[in-house]
Parts: sequence; C-alpha cells; structure tokens
Amino acid sequence: MKIENINIPLMISGNLIENINLNDNYYRMRIKAPQIARKAKPGQFVMLSMWKNKDPFLKRPFSFYGIESDSGTFDILYKEIGKGTQIMAKSKAGDLVELIGPLGNGFKIPENTNNIAVVARGIGIAALMPLILESKKRGIAIYAFLSAQTGNLLLCSNEINSISEKVFYTTDDGSKGAKGMVTNFLQNVLKEEVIDVVYVCGSKRLTKHIRNLQRKYNFLAFVSLEEHMACGIGACKGCVHKTNDGYKRVCKEGPIFPVEEVIFDD
Amino acid sequence: MTKEVSLEVDLGPLHLKNPIMPASGTFDIRCTLLNQKELNRLGAILPKSIAFQEREGNPGPRICETDCGLLNAVGVPSKGVEYFIKEELPLLKKANNTIIVSLMGNSIPDFCNLAGYLNENKEISALEINLSCPNLNNGILFGVNQDKLYELIFNIKKNTSKPIIAKLSPNVSDIREMALTAKNAGAQIITVANTLMGMAIDVDKQVFRLGNTMGGLSGPAIRPIVVRMIWEIAQSVDIPIIGVGGVYCAENAIEMLLAGASAVQIGSANFFNPHVMLEVIEGIEKYLIKKKYNSIQDIIGLMKN
Ligand SMILES: Cc1cc2nc3c(=O)[nH]c(=O)nc-3n(C[C@H](O)[C@H](O)[C@H](O)COP(=O)(O)OP(=O)(O)OC[C@H]3O[C@@H](n4cnc5c(N)ncnc54)[C@H](O)[C@@H]3O)c2cc1C
Ligand SMILES: Cc1cc2nc3c(=O)[nH]c(=O)nc-3n(C[C@H](O)[C@H](O)[C@H](O)COP(=O)(O)O)c2cc1C
Ligand code: FES
Repeated sequence: MKIENINIPLMISGNLIENINLNDNYYRMRIKAPQIARKAKPGQFVMLSMWKNKDPFLKRPFSFYGIESDSGTFDILYKEIGKGTQIMAKSKAGDLVELIGPLGNGFKIPENTNNIAVVARGIGIAALMPLILESKKRGIAIYAFLSAQTGNLLLCSNEINSISEKVFYTTDDGSKGAKGMVTNFLQNVLKEEVIDVVYVCGSKRLTKHIRNLQRKYNFLAFVSLEEHMACGIGACKGCVHKTNDGYKRVCKEGPIFPVEEVIFDD
Repeated sequence: MTKEVSLEVDLGPLHLKNPIMPASGTFDIRCTLLNQKELNRLGAILPKSIAFQEREGNPGPRICETDCGLLNAVGVPSKGVEYFIKEELPLLKKANNTIIVSLMGNSIPDFCNLAGYLNENKEISALEINLSCPNLNNGILFGVNQDKLYELIFNIKKNTSKPIIAKLSPNVSDIREMALTAKNAGAQIITVANTLMGMAIDVDKQVFRLGNTMGGLSGPAIRPIVVRMIWEIAQSVDIPIIGVGGVYCAENAIEMLLAGASAVQIGSANFFNPHVMLEVIEGIEKYLIKKKYNSIQDIIGLMKN
C-alpha cells in the first residue's frame, strides 16, 4: 500500500514576533512556530489565518521567505492586496497565527549544480529567497534577474546583491535598471555561459519566455505557481493547474513544477 | 473522557457511533491531517464522489472565496472505480469501519454500472448518490427533475443491495417533493443538501471568477437555507436525514439535529480547520451532558411546528 504523504503537515498556532512595513504595501512578518520552522524547505509554503469568526472563510497561502530552524522562526514577505492581507498588515507582535504547514514539494537543487539563475517579478522573490540562501551555502553561483513595476518595489535587492555573482534589474517605469523584459538579460548570459538551473516565480510572461529560452539553450527550469486554494493539503482539488500530464494540484504536486510541464492557456 | 451519553444514531439501515462525518469532496484519506485514531472517531468516512471511468474535472480557477463561504467549480475529477478499490478503499477500511461511498455519473446506466460494480465490496456500508450531476442526455441535473430523480434511484436500487442515500440538490423550488420522490423510488436516507448554484464576476478584469462560469456555494452562508430545508422535510416526509451545509462548530450541528437531521456532514469548514469534525463531536457530547440528556436521539427533530 502506497501512502502518498509520509511527511504529514502540522496544524499549530504560531506567535507573531514582528510585522514590519517595508515600503508601500509590502510587509515582512516573523512567526515563531518551531515545529514548522524545523521542517520547512525552500519553495514550500504555509496556509495561514489570523482572523476569527470565519471571516474571511479560508486560510491564505504564503511561501517561506526566511527559515531559521535554530530560533524556530520563519519569515513571510507579503503584499497587502485584499481582506486577509489587510488583517495581516494590521497585526502586532504577540498575535496568534493559525498555521498549516509545511506544504507543497519545494525546490529541487540537482546534485553537481555549479550555477543557477533566479528570475523574480515583484513579490515572487519571496519564494526564491530561501533557495538563494541554500544555494549560497552549497557554494553555487547565483545570477539574479529581478523585475518590478518601480525601483522601490525591487525587494531585498541589497541582500541579493551581496550574495549573488551578478544581479540584473528591470522596472516598468525605468526608475531602476533597464526597461523591458529581465529575461533578455538572461538570454545575454546564456549566450556566453552555461546555466545549470533556472528558477522563476511571480510572472506568467517571464515563465513563458524562459520556456522559449529553454528550448534554445537546454537548461533545467522550475517555476513556482500560484492558484486560489481552499485546503492547501490536497483534499479539495481546487488549486489545479494545467500540465502536459493533465490537471495537477499546485498545493500538493506543486507549487514547484518543471517549466516544460506547465501549460498556459493564453 | 468517560462516556456518559450516547451519541449513537440510527438512520434506517445505517447505524453510526456518532452523527459526524465529512461531506463528499472536502476530505481525502490520502492527504488528511487526522491520524488513525482520530479517523476512527468519526461516525463514518465519506470520500469524494467517484466516477466509473477516469475524468479530469473542470478547468481552473476552481475556487472563489465569497462572503462567509466559497464557490467551487471543481467538477468531479476521478481516477475511476478500479483505482478507488485498489488504492483508496484499503486506506478507508483501515481508518473507519463505516464507509459511505459517493457516486457520480452522467447517465442512468453509468450510475447503475458503478453501483453494481461496488455491490460486492463488503467494506462499503452505504452508497450516497450525488444528484447534482448533469444528465448527459439533456444537461439537466438529476436532482432538479422529479421524473429523472425517480428513474435514477429506482434503477440504482435494482443494481445494489446496499442502503441508498440520495443527496438532494437545493436548487429546487420545493425540497419536500424531491425528498418524497427519492423515498418513493427506494432511497432509505437523504442528504440535504449539495451546494447552491452561484456565480462571481471580477469587475476589474470583467471575467468570471470560475473557469466553469458557475459554481456551487458552500459554507456558513448557506446554513440557514439548509436548516430550513431539513426542518421542512422532517415535518412532511418520513425518512432519515443527513444535514450538510455551513457547519463549522457543534452549535451549528446541533441546530441541524434539532431541525430533524439524524446525522451531520461537515464540508468546507475542514479547509479552515482540519480538526473541526473532532471538535464538533466533543461539543455535541458536552451539550448533551450540560442539558442532561442520556442520548443524542432525544434531541433529533425536537423542533416541531
Ligand atoms: C503557494 C503560494 C505561495 C504564495 N506566496 C506568497 C508570498 O510569499 N507573498 C505574497 O504576498 N503572496 C503570496 N501568495 C499569494 C497570496 O496567497 C495572496 O496574495 C493572498 O491569498 C491574498 O489574500 P487576500 O485576502 O489579501 O486577498 P483577496 O483578494 O481578498 O483574497 C480572496 C481569495 O483569493 C485568493 N487569492 C487572491 N490572490 C491570490 C494569489 N495570488 N494566489 C493565490 N490565491 C489568491 C485568496 O487566498 C482568497 O481565497 C502565494 C500564493 C500561493 C498559492
Ligand atoms: C471543493 C468542494 C468539492 C465538493 N465535491 C463534492 C462531490 O464530489 N460530491 C458531492 O456530492 N458533493 C461535493 N461537494 C459538496 C459538499 O459535499 C457539501 O454538500 C457542500 O459543500 C455543503 O456543505 P459545507 O457548507 O459544509 O461545505 C463539494 C464541496 C466543495 C466545497
Ligand atoms: S487547495 Fe485543496 S487541493 Fe490544493
């Protein structure tokens, strides 16, 4: 008999340690939940709620942005967009956080990887940050390609700058770096050298472009996908994305998929 | 906890150690947070509707949160009955000794084949018929047409000796007629009810929020409607009722029992709180003790006209 999930996620309460407004409507939250922090891997996520009375009715999915297993904490980098994230933005140290996690498959870093490229748009950097740190630890060279609407929304650029081989920026308004597609820079790098693995998060357009580059330059590539979720644990079949192999649950078979498996309709 | 009160309920041919079970489609034995002991505490276990053959379900987005609930247009993706028997049933068997299997089909022969196929499986205690399935012939749900509902249940009965639970659709003008029709066709139990049809539109992008355009509304938003339907049926049709819709705490479940339900399923609330079914069982027990009842039977259908 096959049991699909030996690593059963936990449902526990965590404690909000701090909640910091970074700029505009971007925040970073630190949560103490040792059992989850100890099991968390880059690319995985938690379902989270900080609201009572079932309003909103569902928990919200957030990627691990920082994992500190020693102190038993993890960080979330989030953008305030609607009902749930508004409540999160107003929360204070000491508040209780209801959690289910760690969830999803997480990133794979294949053995003998020498260098990687990370491609992030906006808040998409959140999911990639633990991967960047883990790669650094393993001595893997990192090329970062960051894109956002405006310069001040290029999140964590200082930190990424300090640990990456090279960092490329584009912004929609040209306020930092160049205008246009950040993957054009990736293409320039690929013309010169071999990149072992490319990881992308935060933009369907960039992911499609990476798929095109992959056909030409033949590298491994993984994307972190987002879909609306009800349960986050694989039970409701609500979060599917189209793949070459039929619909797959983003919360269970994902959120990380090989780029060549994913089908975008438009 | 020492057992001071009995939570045992009888639904015609079906005897349960307590009235709480998952609602179909909201629980998966292959990815539950409940351990074996906890699974065994449930009154019954009820997996997602299965189809005879593999089917993939609806395109995304499949989920849209609404005020006090959610719309879903999952459709019924299924790996088919053979996979179910080989891979899922053994896990269910280990988890609980009352297994109810929910069936979906798109024609009467389709349902009958499925019921027939499962008839030999001794582990299955009853079959729940998901009447919110469209009939391939005309696209109309079995659950909203009295003649089709009768014909379907009547024919399924010929293919199985297991108790039949008809899971009604609430998208009808008079739920009592549907309950009576199901009973006359041979259903021994009814489940009230499946989701209410709804729709949501993103006004910014001017697109439907669900890939399937329409979806089923579940959650606390629908509970008062379901409580009313349970009560209406309990007043007029002599058939055991399983209530389902928007239950997220013991008080909600007790409300359904008082209205006339003999058992209660919990669906969407599992998403927010995977332990909710266990909490509801404990809560009902506490309520009975506090109110000095010996048995849950004493409160079922207490609310009369
Ligand atoms: C695996 C995964 C990881 C994520 N990681 C992050 C992260 O690290 N940082 C971050 O800021 N955001 C992340 N998101 C997106 C985040 O979940 C949504 O921004 C959040 O749910 C919005 O909730 P809300 O109540 O503020 O918005 P509302 O618009 O009020 O939410 C309404 C409903 O839509 C859902 N929803 C809205 N936007 C999204 C979205 N983009 N993806 C999935 N569901 C959505 C909500 O969960 C809720 O069910 C992630 C999503 C997924 C699936
Ligand atoms: C995601 C989801 C999937 C569902 N799938 C099924 C199904 O396969 N078969 C079925 O009979 N009902 C299905 N339902 C309906 C539930 O079993 C239940 O009748 C309904 O959700 C109302 O209960 P609730 O408010 O407690 O969720 C589904 C509901 C949801 C939310
Ligand atoms: S969110 Fe329920 S299966 Fe993925």
